[in-house]
Amino acid sequence: MDMKNDRFTKLLLNLPLILFLVLLVVFPAVYALIISFYDVSLSKSTKGFQGLGNYLKIITNKSFWSSIFFSVKYTAISLFIQIILGFLIALLFNRTFPGKKILMSIMLMPIMIAPSLMGIMYRLLLNENIGVLTELFKKVGITMSLFSNEMVFPLLIVLDALQWTPFVFLILYSALQGIDKTLYEAASVDGATKWKQVINITIPSIFPIIIIVSFLRGIDAFRTFDVIYVLTSGGPGTATTTISIFLYKLGFKDGSFSLAAASSIIVIMLLMLIMPLFVKKIVRN
Amino acid sequence: MNFKKMIMLLLLLLLIGLVGCGKETEDNDTTNLQMVYWPGPESDAMQKVVDEYNETQGKEDKVNVEMVLISRDGTFEKQATMMSSESDEVDMYFTASYILGQHAPYLEPLGDDLDFDVYLDAAIDSLEIEGEKYAIPMDASTHFMFYRTDYIERLLEDENWKRKYRELSKEILNEEIDPKHPDEWSWDDYIVASAFFTEEVNSESPTKYGTILQMKNLFLNIFLWDNILWSEGGGWFDEQGEVILDSPEAKKAMEVYNTIYEAGYTTPDSTVAEFPEAQAAFSSGNIAFLVQWGTGFDELNNEDQSPNTANKVGIAPVPGKKIHVHGQGIGINKYSDKKEESLKWMEYLTTNKANEIYAEHGGITAVPEVMENFDKNPLLAEISKHIQEYGYYEPTLLETNQILQILADELSPAWVGEVESEDALLEAKNRIESLMND
Repeated sequence: MDMKNDRFTKLLLNLPLILFLVLLVVFPAVYALIISFYDVSLSKSTKGFQGLGNYLKIITNKSFWSSIFFSVKYTAISLFIQIILGFLIALLFNRTFPGKKILMSIMLMPIMIAPSLMGIMYRLLLNENIGVLTELFKKVGITMSLFSNEMVFPLLIVLDALQWTPFVFLILYSALQGIDKTLYEAASVDGATKWKQVINITIPSIFPIIIIVSFLRGIDAFRTFDVIYVLTSGGPGTATTTISIFLYKLGFKDGSFSLAAASSIIVIMLLMLIMPLFVKKIVRN
Repeated sequence: MNFKKMIMLLLLLLLIGLVGCGKETEDNDTTNLQMVYWPGPESDAMQKVVDEYNETQGKEDKVNVEMVLISRDGTFEKQATMMSSESDEVDMYFTASYILGQHAPYLEPLGDDLDFDVYLDAAIDSLEIEGEKYAIPMDASTHFMFYRTDYIERLLEDENWKRKYRELSKEILNEEIDPKHPDEWSWDDYIVASAFFTEEVNSESPTKYGTILQMKNLFLNIFLWDNILWSEGGGWFDEQGEVILDSPEAKKAMEVYNTIYEAGYTTPDSTVAEFPEAQAAFSSGNIAFLVQWGTGFDELNNEDQSPNTANKVGIAPVPGKKIHVHGQGIGINKYSDKKEESLKWMEYLTTNKANEIYAEHGGITAVPEVMENFDKNPLLAEISKHIQEYGYYEPTLLETNQILQILADELSPAWVGEVESEDALLEAKNRIESLMND
């Protein structure tokens, strides 16, 4: 009787979370899957069955693949830069020095700002006519347009790095605290240089954490919407249209809910090709 | 905690949650109407009209109106969610001619119950689909060309400037033309003047660039480009309903943008420019003129907000004298159970009094009788005149919003040289044809 009550109590305590997941995750996912086979759009009152018609439309839509390609490129480059930078900064902070706590607090400030607010902030700061940063750049002789075709992609990478490198830094810094210091002592005794210690001790020790933080940041970067939408609206032209912006425009600007649902399902299926690799790596480590 | 206490606690929490779900009860037979409106200057003006109505006519009608304000950037998206769920949570929706196609299936046709004759033709006709009107316009949105009066005056008087202008026109157009007053500009004049007022081209230019083009991938920017297309005699469809975006007129319209952008007569940041960036470019003194939404005038001419340009802003029709107009207003939710009451409120909104209050608090009403006799804002008379003489509106179809999105996606890369203009126009044409045949 006690065991039965116990099990029931556990179920009851988990009920709010289960309800939350069902209402906000399971139901929308199932509903999206259902409407992806119909023709549900804001401007049409009829909802005819389409079978795989929506999927075919999306797979043959070159804008869809452009946005996927852009998201992959953006994710790969952002991730690479943020992992390297975050790791180097974590190494720098992995010692005692005056003002470390204050500096660390300042370092972490960008991750507390909502991405859409970052977008609005940079839209003002980088405005050619009234932007503070633009004026500073002019004073040091930098007069190029940061929103030109050539510069807009590097600009977005830099802004993403400014906001999320601190997150990577925080996770890796915490991981560094868990490394046994005697390993470094032994390595020093054996004559290993600092860099050799980093390569042979530090990186292998925190490698599982690097995988996890890469996974988290990768997912985030892939689904980036706010900053890019506020700054460029996916432009110039469609040059910076991520998959999230593509889906948003399809669903809310075109009102084509079925096509947006079908696109989302295809994206999930594409991600399912690589997710198991990450999960396997994380579980194994 | 024992099992029974836990059940009681959960039930209590559930009960508290359900208490918040009740519908508002109505008082003394007065019907409360929930009306979605657009936050910003429009809702600030509308609130005054709502307050006046609720205090006066509303008491006779036994109707009380409440505005529902969603975020300015997300109003249509959130409305889309409410509409698609066929909700009766609100009684009236905010709409605009460019998105009416999406909204019409969820709005009640207004029939002949209201006096539509009080409105500017372009504003009210643009809120009609397949012969049915679905909304009344509270705002008539249109474009003007704003220019620096001091610079243009000098251009028309200074012989050295005129000589330089003629030289530039010869280089750019292969023919010499004299500077004209902006009221008479064609798009060729616009291009030459842009060059003249660009300091890299003309070292005597008082501004860095001649103008700013709003080239962000945004459907609202298509309306600005459409002014060129319509002034060249082109459009989206011919009289038979065929898509004609690959016409010579459309190519010429693209040429205007390409010429100005590629030659550097506008900032490279035009690629991400829309209303606020254009305002900043003019008010900072970095450009000499621009084509802009009418609502921009107040800020550009305001001494506190734009000290560089205050009292130096001239208004002219858009070059080519074809000016986009769209109506913004309200329609009745098809699923509301308060349609009669909503009509009473809308009847009030067609009166001069309601529109005067709206205009007095910053709204750009679409009632010419009010606009032309409103001393507190002489710009309204200009707007009325411009719309009646030069106004046009894009076809209001079920697919209009999707067409605008296609044009923004296909043409904005071509504006900035990412793709060839002809290819972009052809692709846009094919996609729109496919959409219309769907």
